[in-house]
Amino acid sequence: MLPFRYPYHTSQLSPKVIMLKKVVPLIETVDLQKSYFSGDLETPVLHGIDFVIQEGEFVSIMGPSGSGKSTLMHILGFLDTPTSGSYLFRGEKTRVLEDDALARIRATRVSFVFQAFNLLPRTTVLENVILPLLYHPTIPASEREERAMKAIAEVGLTERTTYLTNQLSGGQQQRVAIARALVTEPDIIFADEPTGNLDSASGLQVMNVLQELHDHQGSTIVLVTHEKATAEYAARIIQLLDGRISSDSRDFKRKDAKTNTDLK
Amino acid sequence: MFLRDTFKAAHRAIAVNKGRSALTMLGVIIGVSSVVLMTAVGASMEGLILGQISSLGSKSMVIMPGQQEGPGGSITPGFDSLTFEDIRALETLTTAHSFAPIVLIEGTATYGREETSPMTLGTVPHFFQNQHVSAAQGRLLEDADMSAARSVVVLGADAAEDLFANADPLGKKIKVADRSYTVIGVLNPVGTQFFQNFDERIFVPLPVARSVTGKRYVSFVTFQAVDDIDLAERDVTSLLRQRHGIVNPEDDQDKDDFIVHTSEQANEILGTVSLSLTLFITTIAGISLLVGGIGIMNIMLVAVTERTREIGLRKAVGARRRDILLQFLFEAVMITLIAGMIGVLLGILLAFLIAAGVQKYMSSYVFALSVPSILVALAMAVLTGLIFGLYPARQASRLSPMNALRYE
Repeated sequence: MLPFRYPYHTSQLSPKVIMLKKVVPLIETVDLQKSYFSGDLETPVLHGIDFVIQEGEFVSIMGPSGSGKSTLMHILGFLDTPTSGSYLFRGEKTRVLEDDALARIRATRVSFVFQAFNLLPRTTVLENVILPLLYHPTIPASEREERAMKAIAEVGLTERTTYLTNQLSGGQQQRVAIARALVTEPDIIFADEPTGNLDSASGLQVMNVLQELHDHQGSTIVLVTHEKATAEYAARIIQLLDGRISSDSRDFKRKDAKTNTDLK
Repeated sequence: MFLRDTFKAAHRAIAVNKGRSALTMLGVIIGVSSVVLMTAVGASMEGLILGQISSLGSKSMVIMPGQQEGPGGSITPGFDSLTFEDIRALETLTTAHSFAPIVLIEGTATYGREETSPMTLGTVPHFFQNQHVSAAQGRLLEDADMSAARSVVVLGADAAEDLFANADPLGKKIKVADRSYTVIGVLNPVGTQFFQNFDERIFVPLPVARSVTGKRYVSFVTFQAVDDIDLAERDVTSLLRQRHGIVNPEDDQDKDDFIVHTSEQANEILGTVSLSLTLFITTIAGISLLVGGIGIMNIMLVAVTERTREIGLRKAVGARRRDILLQFLFEAVMITLIAGMIGVLLGILLAFLIAAGVQKYMSSYVFALSVPSILVALAMAVLTGLIFGLYPARQASRLSPMNALRYE
């Protein structure tokens, strides 16, 4: 059962329109389940998740703690594997992938922004942003700095390039993390409670950066949060409750970080 | 990820934790520097004791008082088993000749304010022929010096330099054990023969040495085989056994109170001694590097735990297991390599200081280094890093990125 019906869902394609490859969704999950095991004790976290994310979407995955939203993000971001069900990335099954293949996807296709920033300590902004390029299989070393500078410019930190990360404010650190996520030009960016450690003004700045990426660059962004106020910056909200999708809606008034005042 | 990037990451990690990296290195530094120091001192000592080992004619032989435990075994020197009567009896043999008894005079030698402690040997003219040594300046001891018991002295090459430096020693008077001697000659350098560096010895006529010391025993005797060395050795051995009342039909060297060697055998024994010295030092090196290696493994495990989130992040942005493994392995190897190089420099410095200090008292102690052992010590240090860094690096590479990111 799909909560939304997409006109070009792959399973509904008849053989004669298979040439419409471009509409293969970026992410598609079918009955995705995840359980954690502690000895013989099985703790189910996700009970069958079905949804589709198209390229260029800005989606919030929202839910209270324990709803499974972080687990879902880890699976979608190739940091974890589902117990059963299938996860198709650009129409390709992913469960069978080897460790190195997963690493390659993380290097080239997906990026993360974490709640705790996870920047390297005592390291400059530039070096932090370059980090993912060290592991990128195709971007040559000669292009690294240029690409990193471009990503830093996109989050408005050009003047802070040579600062050490611990010399920056929380909001600036999170923007460095966003630049680091951008630098490989991934297919999708996962932001896990990106405003969770920030005051509201800094949080607003970060949301503004994410919205601009989506609106102007067409980046696909998945925002994971437990706050409705934050979730509403996205164009679509998937609500998770107890490991199931409880709602998936686009009919709300999307907030605009640029003009928003209630967080300020 | 390129090797250069791995190298940089490792370099940064070491630089960030300078204090801890230095402490970690200490074990390896001590290990490597002690190996370098010990081998350098060993090389200097070998130079001091042996000089160069010179090869004598194959017919040169020696008789020493003392016992040897089996062929090639260790020698326990004795002092009073070879008498002048023994020498006189040996001179009747037809298979050996040119017996040159040597008597040792204890005491320092002085010239003006220069003082050294060379060994002073009383001997006869044909000793110099036995050892194939000639005079560089002046003349050797002659029969006339013997019969007249003249107070004259011939200096070994190094001994002459110690006492006179650049001055001309001929005709000068030196004092040995409160008796004054006139220098009549200086020998060409010959190096070590029969366990002695003759360059550091000084030589006086045997009758003088006998009357000064009152000794009835000889320190050792050199001689030449007339033709076949085995035959000469057998004849000398059986004559001495007979005179000393030793019944030894099974030819067991433990029972004899004297040792007969050819010059080649003597050089082989010296080789054995320096081999066991090398083994001893290698063992020390092995133990200290083992201890240093455990220290490195310990600190690398701490580093892996401490940097769990960093590892998680690196994996999240695309690092493969291999990338993480190499990064931490590089770090361990770099620590040991830096420590090894510091250890080498420290060892050389210490050896140099020691040489400079000792040289004031023994001018023939020369600063020397054993280059192969420096290279081996360095290689061992790097190997230590590889071996003991592997386990922590493997642990790091196998962390699940998700759990590593969540690690508090």
